[in-house]
Amino acid sequence: MTAPNGNSSNLTRRLKLLMSWEGFLLAVLCLVFAINASMSQAFFTVANQINLFNLSIEKIIVALIMTFIIINGEIDLSVASVMGLSACTFGWLYHAGMSAGLAIVVVMGVGFLCGAVNGFFITRLGIPSLVVTLSTLIGYRGLARVLVEDRGINQFPKWFDALGQQPLLGPFPLSLIIFFALFIVLGFVLHFSGFGRRVYVIGNNAEAATYSGVDVAEIKMKLFIASSTISALAGLLFAARVGAIRGDVAQGFELDIITIVLLGGVSIFGGSGSLLGTLLSILIVLSLRNGMDLANITGHIQTGLIGLLLILSVLIPNAKIYASRFLQAKPS
Amino acid sequence: MIRSRLKFSPQNLRIFGLIVVLICVLLFFATQIHNYLNKDLFIRVSTSVAIMALIAIGQTLVILTRNIDLSVGSVVGFSAFFLGGLLARNPNINPLLVVLAGVGFGSLFGMLNGLLVAYANVPSIIVTLGTMALYRSSLVQFSGAKSISTASLPAWLVSLPRMNMISIGGYDVRVTFVITLVVMLLAHFALTRLRAGRHFYAVGSNPAAARFAGINVNRTVFLAFTLSGALAGLTGFLFLARFGNITVVAGLGFELKSVASAVVGGVNIFGGSGSVIGAFLGAILVDVLDTSLVRWEVISEFWREAVLGALILLSVTADTLLSRKLLAISLKKTKSTPKQMAAFEDSLTTRKGL
Amino acid sequence: MTSSALEIRDISKNFGAVKALSHFTMALKPGEIHGLVGENGAGKSTLIKIMTGVYQPTSGEIIVNNTPITFKNTQDARDLGIVAIYQEPMVFPDLDVIENIFISDKKSGALVNKRKMRSDAQTLMERLGLSFDLERDARSLTLAEQQTVEIARALSMDAKVIVMDEPTASLSAHEARQLRNIAKTLKAEGVAVVYISHRLEEVFEIADRVTVLRDGQFISTRDIGDVTTDSLISEMVGREVGEFFARVPNKARDNVRLRVSNLAREGVFENISFDLRAGEILCMAGLIGARRTDVALSIFGIAPATSGEIDVAGKKVNIQTPRQAMKLGIAYVSEDRRKFGLLLPMPIFANTSLATLDKYISSWGFLKRQAELSMAETFRQRLNIRAPSVTTNVADLSGGNQQKVMLAKWLNMQPGILIFDEPTRGIDVGAKAEVHKIIHDFAAEGGSVLLISSDLPEVLALADRILVMREGRQMGIFDGGSSTQLSIMNYATGQNIAHEVA
Repeated sequence: MTAPNGNSSNLTRRLKLLMSWEGFLLAVLCLVFAINASMSQAFFTVANQINLFNLSIEKIIVALIMTFIIINGEIDLSVASVMGLSACTFGWLYHAGMSAGLAIVVVMGVGFLCGAVNGFFITRLGIPSLVVTLSTLIGYRGLARVLVEDRGINQFPKWFDALGQQPLLGPFPLSLIIFFALFIVLGFVLHFSGFGRRVYVIGNNAEAATYSGVDVAEIKMKLFIASSTISALAGLLFAARVGAIRGDVAQGFELDIITIVLLGGVSIFGGSGSLLGTLLSILIVLSLRNGMDLANITGHIQTGLIGLLLILSVLIPNAKIYASRFLQAKPS
Repeated sequence: MIRSRLKFSPQNLRIFGLIVVLICVLLFFATQIHNYLNKDLFIRVSTSVAIMALIAIGQTLVILTRNIDLSVGSVVGFSAFFLGGLLARNPNINPLLVVLAGVGFGSLFGMLNGLLVAYANVPSIIVTLGTMALYRSSLVQFSGAKSISTASLPAWLVSLPRMNMISIGGYDVRVTFVITLVVMLLAHFALTRLRAGRHFYAVGSNPAAARFAGINVNRTVFLAFTLSGALAGLTGFLFLARFGNITVVAGLGFELKSVASAVVGGVNIFGGSGSVIGAFLGAILVDVLDTSLVRWEVISEFWREAVLGALILLSVTADTLLSRKLLAISLKKTKSTPKQMAAFEDSLTTRKGL
Repeated sequence: MTSSALEIRDISKNFGAVKALSHFTMALKPGEIHGLVGENGAGKSTLIKIMTGVYQPTSGEIIVNNTPITFKNTQDARDLGIVAIYQEPMVFPDLDVIENIFISDKKSGALVNKRKMRSDAQTLMERLGLSFDLERDARSLTLAEQQTVEIARALSMDAKVIVMDEPTASLSAHEARQLRNIAKTLKAEGVAVVYISHRLEEVFEIADRVTVLRDGQFISTRDIGDVTTDSLISEMVGREVGEFFARVPNKARDNVRLRVSNLAREGVFENISFDLRAGEILCMAGLIGARRTDVALSIFGIAPATSGEIDVAGKKVNIQTPRQAMKLGIAYVSEDRRKFGLLLPMPIFANTSLATLDKYISSWGFLKRQAELSMAETFRQRLNIRAPSVTTNVADLSGGNQQKVMLAKWLNMQPGILIFDEPTRGIDVGAKAEVHKIIHDFAAEGGSVLLISSDLPEVLALADRILVMREGRQMGIFDGGSSTQLSIMNYATGQNIAHEVA
């Protein structure tokens, strides 16, 4: 199996990978599909699937870029606050008289800035991303509240609302199209591009990367800017979909997003994971929520069950490792 | 050889610095707000700090061991709810038993966290993200979507927040504040004078070395989470007393505040250093800022969160830069090798897996 | 006859089919320094782990105080006073020295008595002949100081057997001497010290007896007076010691690739000046702690110099980052491959392309996977990297093959200047020879090599010229052909050594 170009053994490696986490997720997904389908015949209809995605579309869009961040060995807790800030900034600007189109551009700029601030503290000052994004989680949310205070803003241009709520291409609304487009683009970037390779390398061993000439700071900065910019986009999509904004838009979303990514097999320590895993995890979580809706399980309970799933997702592989270690004495 | 002297450690500097900042903040607002520095301020801050500082202390215990507990908010809420229900059905129950019930209840949650982190080897950020959701949803289930109302609670509980331990010239020192103060002193004593307490620091400073040195790392981490849960349970009691009306969203967001207070108070997020006194002062600073911003006419009260976020960032930046400077000085004095510097840089940035 | 402090009787340890130790027997006397020597992979580390309770033997007995004992874990061994000190110090950076020493004290009760601890720590340190500020956080201690803290900790637990695994490998000459004195102090107190070292001269200086291991088997235990360096080496290697490394002279060309003038980094090194020509191998010799790696890191941009000048191909340059150094054709092969040189969980091909990733990225930004794989395969064959395929993870390779993967990464850059830091550390003799050949071939094709090595025979075999450093200063540059181990050691230690060094 040792081809000179390593190709066939590459394929075997790929297959082996599929046998691991992603394979496990696939099995779980089929199980969830089966249960849901048995509960309701409407489950597999296009309308239901689209609706299923729509309800959490902003979260799953951000989960795509969060995958990069965690693989890189970092974390971004501020994504939901950036979503909130972007939605509130849009509302505030539009209400203050700016055209919606220009407001969108400004909001994206704000997202960019938020990421740059995160990136600055993390790469230039060397403060751990957990602490920086915890502070900006609070700070950016605070800025959103400064703008909007305790009011709600809900008069947006018709075309804006339409983009958020009506189908754009066939039955698919804009947000879903953006999600799939982003999935394909980011998937290529993460798994087939030089940038993606560097993301993995840094998450694996940042020192070795530095010693090999990789500009670690630049890549981290880019990732955090990307994370916040995409979060800003997600915030706009949320505002369009819901048609209204308040100071607490997207509050608490970061936990769902991180749960999805970790469930997808991305290691919290960095260096491993895949966008495919995140996609499978998204499908599982969305279908689970849908199924639980069908079974009349309330929202809070759903969140609890997802939390349980998260813990099990690490617990079970750990148990496997212990079992195998127990069965064979390994030299260290 | 140098005899013992007051250690100018980053730790002590930090506490000193916090006190200075606190005084500055108080003086600043005194110039801005009419009739600011009076007993009302003291009473208001001490009452709300009683709750926040308590969970900040619990969070500190966990962070010292290089972990994090994001479930405290849910535990506070659940504990408040549980005790409220308990009292509604048994209004004549002994107050002490109620407190103990709260502590015990919270400990159970803490123990589950501890089991998963210490013995099942699941990283604490994952465990407590999961249990945060799990405990909250259990609360919703348990409550049947109803809420606790003050009317159903016994009089002694409702009047507890206003009860004074001692009153000095109009400065009422509330019982609730004293409870937290006592807990802080006990925790400080345990962490500095009990061998088991020192193990918290050892485990967070270098878990591998701790294991190697014969410290029972698993038991220490388990204990940290159990205590965090216990303190969250106690906080639930104080919360119930203070607010009376408890809904299923009680305690939401407390975990972030507790981490923020600890971090502002100089507790190193990577474990191994920090003090509960610092966390206590951090909680006070955060609360003073909160209260004062509301009353400051220059900017709207909605700036609270933004300022808090900036504050945390600033204090961590100051911390990091300061301790780096101090270490560079001492390393230069001892002419360390690049391996040393590399190891230090390591310890700053690559201790992952909270 | 004194009873043994610790006796290993007929111990074997198998890991599946691998026999790490076979029928090993050794007896330690209290109050002796017992040297333990053997090549990498001979089984020393397995032996230590069995002695200290990390592993349980597959068969055989451990005898303490005339009773056979089973260690279930390190705690059991520690309770009996058997402790190991490794190269990586196990200290708590955030705690002070006193707490570091007494942290695992189980006998003094639940309360911490700082005053008593302080005076006890003082006493311990005095016993070891040391004095430093006990209030310092362990983080600010040097490696050597951290080691002494560990030794003090062992003493505080009434250690009867202290195993030191390559204790002086990362220490300066002065620190190493201090450590050897500590070992002698421990011996005087009745502790049995097992001293593992590749530096045979140290073993000769302090050991009473020495045991040789080879391929997991016991070869001999003799009094130190009954052995010589040659006899030890031949027992370690299993064949006659001949001219291991034949000297192959190089033809240095005329053009100066790299010129370093009065290079200094404040507080670390100063006044380093040398030329490096095409086709030349310049060896930086010296003991560990001479700061040679720091000079290399300055040239490579990881820790830039604070004064002095670097010229590449005649032009003055300012190197502040590794990228800039690499653009100038400078490559640095790190001495710590696990930490700075390799991505262990990733496959070989991901490692070999790491320094030249841009070459394998198309204009659209995509990885040219095919090219990457074939480059890796080319190097696999050229450097004789033993692995099932280039998709094997580097963590699964032996030390020598890992070293080659790291080297391949840098050779692919086709550097003009190759800085190679401790090229053969931790790899077996066969791989050593292969690496030497690679270095020679590189120079023969016109490349310049700046070689940092603490292995004197290696230095003598490879160097055209030798730059000796001592504690951050340059002692001189000498012709490779006419230097001897003695002459280099003289300069490296800054003193005249009357006798021949191993």
